[in-house]
Amino acid sequence: MKNEKTPEISRRSFLKAAAGAAALSGLTLPKAVHAGGGKQLASLIDLSLCDGCSDREAPACVSACRTINKDTIPPIAEPIPVPWPRKTVEDWSRKREVKNRLTPYNFIYVHQAEIDWNGQKKTVYVPRRCMHCDNPACATICPFSANHKQTNGAVVIDQDLCFGGAKCKTVCPWEIPQRQSGVGIYLHVLPTLMGNGVMYKCDLCNGRLGKGALPGCVEACPRKAILIGPRADIFALAEERATQMKGYIYGKKENGGTSTLYVSPVSFDLINKTMRKKPGQPDMPTGVERRMAGTDPLGKLVLAAPALGIAAGAAGAFKWLSHRKAQMKEGGKDNG
Amino acid sequence: MAEKIREEKGLIVRHRIVELIEHWAIALSGLLLLLSGFFQMPTANRYYFTSLPGLSWSGDFFVSLNVHYAASILFIAAALFHLTYHGMRGDMGMIPQKGDIKTSITVIKSFFGKGEEPPFHKYLPEQRLAYAGMAFIIAMLILSGLIKTFKNLYAPDMSLTVVLAATWVHNIFFALFVLAFLGHIAAILLKPNRPMVRGILTGSVRLDYARHRHPLWLAEMEMELANEIPAPMEQAPAPAVLLEDPQPAEKVDVIPAPDQETDPSGKKEQS
Ligand code: SF4
Ligand code: SF4
Ligand code: SF4
Repeated sequence: MKNEKTPEISRRSFLKAAAGAAALSGLTLPKAVHAGGGKQLASLIDLSLCDGCSDREAPACVSACRTINKDTIPPIAEPIPVPWPRKTVEDWSRKREVKNRLTPYNFIYVHQAEIDWNGQKKTVYVPRRCMHCDNPACATICPFSANHKQTNGAVVIDQDLCFGGAKCKTVCPWEIPQRQSGVGIYLHVLPTLMGNGVMYKCDLCNGRLGKGALPGCVEACPRKAILIGPRADIFALAEERATQMKGYIYGKKENGGTSTLYVSPVSFDLINKTMRKKPGQPDMPTGVERRMAGTDPLGKLVLAAPALGIAAGAAGAFKWLSHRKAQMKEGGKDNG
Repeated sequence: MAEKIREEKGLIVRHRIVELIEHWAIALSGLLLLLSGFFQMPTANRYYFTSLPGLSWSGDFFVSLNVHYAASILFIAAALFHLTYHGMRGDMGMIPQKGDIKTSITVIKSFFGKGEEPPFHKYLPEQRLAYAGMAFIIAMLILSGLIKTFKNLYAPDMSLTVVLAATWVHNIFFALFVLAFLGHIAAILLKPNRPMVRGILTGSVRLDYARHRHPLWLAEMEMELANEIPAPMEQAPAPAVLLEDPQPAEKVDVIPAPDQETDPSGKKEQS
């Protein structure tokens, strides 16, 4: 996985990648790929293809991501300020080698699920990283807008703006973002009173996408199990593959919809049963709700509030004006 | 007329019910917005607010966001009601006037025992300035808040420049709102202003206080009352709008009623 710049947009690269995958899985590429796809991207993780790179020391996707991001986190402050009053410090800088969970130094890991499938033992490998949700609370309610959904669909944390309060992690149904204390802007403000580092997670290799290159994990996967492309095309491809394998899709409805679709021959309920939710190791409940949807009704009323106020104010003022008019007339009569 | 003198009770009506409702709608929802806005920063858990009785909700961002939304519905509607209603009526009493900054300085000096207070209209010059300042802060908070709400609901991938601008305007004016609120409370605590507190609680202030401190207001009111008995018809309603602040009358130098010493214990307000 070299960082060479693939010229021009992801479409061509996607075609290449998808064609390879199609060849592997014996599927043909959907026509939709050739039609206009818009700027929004999505990715597909095909669990029927991923073999966890069991022949390698580490999964290729994980290694690629680590190589790309090995210098992402700047040097850590020595000593790391201890926040007040809750004294949580999260320092992964001495445990950078950890690969079996999400950490600030590891944005993707592969879960191994041992499943009883129609009386057979079956191993399913599930690469886990940020889902790049369609309306991600992690981004929309970041108090500093350090986390933002880009127009291409990537949800990206700006490490120069993040205070590391971990709100994004709290509101993410999979608690994806991971904190490294002792880095970031908070060190220059009120380190012990406000903030606690920077949150890190997969950014869909947004920088590489901007240069027309593929995300590292997509490029590195020897089985073409991870694909990226125009959103409509990827969604169509996921449907097609799911139908072909009489399988299941994850990520289409979860958390209100995401731009990462998992396709699997085994149901995600069975896969989820093999997952015990632990820090940095999310589970995978089907249909997990977008909790922020519970604030939408009041949010709509907020947007209507200016009109309500203006209408009430105008009604009140008109009433007063006509009242005065009537008074004036009466006064005039009395006088005259 | 809005203002009415109740000689028998020794009171004068300073705010009508609608104005009291506006003030308290903004004030109470504003306080709730400060609190729930504060909890939008990941502070509640870190600072153990979640362990305080009645504040266990503060650590749940979606609950505190709902509280924030609910309060802003009232806040925004009241602010725009205020703007529309008083704008259409032509109420200008709180709009800053020429010379307000200079007079304010004189008045503030007098609070510290330096020199005499000049005679006042219904509102003190610094009340008019504070009103303009607060109105600006509130306008910026509402504007940036609406952009943020729209982003939350419909456009998470809205232009980052717009989102960053709205976020930082919201955060900075949140801090200014806290300062303005503290300043407002400090102004109430100043002894000469205290008689006005009764006004924002009940609508009326003591007549002797008003005569002593706001003679220009009383003079205006008398003029309005004289105008109330309308001249024999012709152009009836239009001038009504101008009644609140009859500029020419101010030029007539009204002598502050020298008759009574005001008992300075009392209250104050502003809007
Ligand atoms: S997604 Fe590809 S690179 Fe990653 S573990 Fe699976 S097969 Fe290996
Ligand atoms: S998976 Fe979590 S961190 Fe990633 S976009 Fe969705 S809510 Fe945000
Ligand atoms: S898209 Fe990039 S950042 Fe995200 S997991 Fe893949 S290589 Fe890592």
